[in-house]
Amino acid sequence: MNVQRISALVKMELKKIIREPAYLFMMLLFPLVLTLSFGLGFATMPSAVPGKTQFEFMVPGLFGYACIFIIMSVAQAFSDDREQGLLKRINVTPTTSGEFMGSNLITYTSLSVLQVAIVAISAFLMGYRAQGGVAGLILAFLFVMILSLCSVGLGLITATIAKSSEAATGISFIFILPQMFFGTFIPINETTRPIAMFLPSYYVTDAITMIFNGVALTDLNIWFDLIVVLVISLVIVIVGIGLFKRYGKA
Amino acid sequence: MHAKIKKSRATDGPEDVYDPEHGKAIIIKNLVKKFEDVTAVNDLSFEVKEGQIFGLLGPNGAGKTTTINMMIGLLKPTSGNIYVGGYNVKKSLKSIKKFIGVCPQDAAIYKFLTGRENIELFGNLHAMDKKELKQRVDELLKAVTFTEASKRKAKGYSGGMLRQINLLMALVNNPYIVFLDEPTVGMDPRARRKTWDFIGALKEQNKTVILTTHYIEEAEALSDTVAIIDYGELIAMGSPKELMEKYESKNLEKVFMKITGRRIMEGA
Repeated sequence: MNVQRISALVKMELKKIIREPAYLFMMLLFPLVLTLSFGLGFATMPSAVPGKTQFEFMVPGLFGYACIFIIMSVAQAFSDDREQGLLKRINVTPTTSGEFMGSNLITYTSLSVLQVAIVAISAFLMGYRAQGGVAGLILAFLFVMILSLCSVGLGLITATIAKSSEAATGISFIFILPQMFFGTFIPINETTRPIAMFLPSYYVTDAITMIFNGVALTDLNIWFDLIVVLVISLVIVIVGIGLFKRYGKA
Repeated sequence: MHAKIKKSRATDGPEDVYDPEHGKAIIIKNLVKKFEDVTAVNDLSFEVKEGQIFGLLGPNGAGKTTTINMMIGLLKPTSGNIYVGGYNVKKSLKSIKKFIGVCPQDAAIYKFLTGRENIELFGNLHAMDKKELKQRVDELLKAVTFTEASKRKAKGYSGGMLRQINLLMALVNNPYIVFLDEPTVGMDPRARRKTWDFIGALKEQNKTVILTTHYIEEAEALSDTVAIIDYGELIAMGSPKELMEKYESKNLEKVFMKITGRRIMEGA
């Protein structure tokens, strides 16, 4: 692993986000607008959970929701680069697959975590107060980080399947929509639970809900969720990298 | 006994040496590439001497880009062997990538980066020393008088400007072997002439250049040796002068038409 190469690729990807208005909107304004909209719409509406407004009920789900949209950004970015011959060009330099994939995992996982931080700050400004203290917040962000990694892996799988960046946008919804409806801020019922149990965002939202509701951080249910989401994410990242290396660069 | 020339390409490690075999920068032996039923390259064999500009010519679909893509490791040959700088492409691609530069047919450039940033990015991917990289980028931009425009985002560049940056990106690591796939397509005559001078100067720096082009006059003006391929097979090879004498033609364009025209008629 060469730090200079990884750092150059990370800087390049960050410049892409900063200099391209569409990417900048998706990355920074989207989580802000999302949280403000939900905050304004649901802050006074009572939820099924006694003592909680609908917005307070939704916030842990918004954390996961913000993470899963990185799937589309990753798929679009990789498809764009492939269409322009940039992946092939990088492939004829001494850059290894590990350095290339590593730099993208670092960039997009960091951006995803930043998006969730924007959700967290916006929610706080809208009056949301999480329990669990600093340790709880750190643990919640650990879940967010793992889900972000998983989303980058799903983005790579999408980029492998898609033949163009336009197709990548559409295909990414195959991974975004189920996670959005069955694993974030929409209440799960007995019908949807069997589907949700296959989705990493379900475990993340479940764990963050427990943490922010003041459940002890030593509770085994939280750590069970962590193990499940970690295993699912590792499998998806490995499959995503493998597929992209094998079929996605050409 | 031939003494091997070993030159360090000071980037990553001790394995990183350019080691041409008996003065041959590239050796291709019985190269075959098949895409399902289509044979794109058929039993191709040739050698490229170190320090030469080697023109690879052929009609559209002749197998030029496929051959180059196999030389740089983007495509795996169906059979046969390729040695680049003394290394077998199948076994030592990692080492080869350190001393080659590749200018692709379509300008592969990050449009949101400036021209300079694009060149610097690829210097960093070659793990060049920061100071050396800055000097090299300045030197390259100055050579094609691109200094001021290089500070602007590539998004606003004309097709010719993108081509120039595309070429400079391939040269940033000061490679021993440079692959130029149609480097002047889309350039106006003035920019093309300037690029010819630039490519000609690479020879003076003892670089080996593999050039594919549709502009026959470009190949004639620049190449020491020309190989004409058609249907994936080598049909003629020699210096432009030798080929013109052999085929009793006034220029390389007439040689090309004579050879490929005859083959097309034979194949019809």
